[in-house]
Amino acid sequence: MLPQWEGDRVSLHLNELATKIATLDPAEQEALWEKVAELNFQRGLEALAQKYRARLAAEGTLDQTADTVMAELKKLREEIAADDYRT
Amino acid sequence: MTIGPDWVVLDTNIWIFGLRHQPEQPACAQVLQHLPQLHVKIPRQVRLELQANPRHEEMRAFFRLLHRHAGQTDLRWEQVDLSRVRTYQRLGCKLGDAAVAAHIEVLGIGTLVSENRDFLYEIRGLPFRVLRAADFLRELGEVE
Repeated sequence: MLPQWEGDRVSLHLNELATKIATLDPAEQEALWEKVAELNFQRGLEALAQKYRARLAAEGTLDQTADTVMAELKKLREEIAADDYRT
Repeated sequence: MTIGPDWVVLDTNIWIFGLRHQPEQPACAQVLQHLPQLHVKIPRQVRLELQANPRHEEMRAFFRLLHRHAGQTDLRWEQVDLSRVRTYQRLGCKLGDAAVAAHIEVLGIGTLVSENRDFLYEIRGLPFRVLRAADFLRELGEVE
């Protein structure tokens, strides 16, 4: 939790930011929200990728070559399809 | 007449190489960075493969992320008719690739992005084009 003075500073900053955004015309505001959503998505994706890579590193498989990974993906594809389309 | 967005399918290898930041395939991570500008359908076969790769909690985070772009990401759970799959097997596809190809055809998708050499160089007569990640990025650059 933020200390009181830090919380006040953040709140002031957000108010200033909101005031500035409110001066933009609707099209600019829409473009801004799209950009914010895009940045949030990219951050989320990067955080997920970091977590995934950390787990693979711990398991000792992060250094696999692209060919090895591709071979495993192809094997997995056939196994899944064989199960999904078994007649 | 309204022309809708061009939906694409990213093959499982694009997602996995992208998340791994595979050094030999840097374009795959770049394609994922472009997701907010793309309209992506995820066929059943690709979805099942993705669910088998990252762990359960990683996949939940991944799908939560995709749901933020609900209008631009379409997860498809339906199975494609086996007769369509067999058609692609006759073209030379293995069963799994045939399932992906059949679903792409049924969905009416024009572009598959993949690093799978079988799709890229081996199979002829597919009703959609197959682009490597780097070539897809080049096209995005032309559009932007």
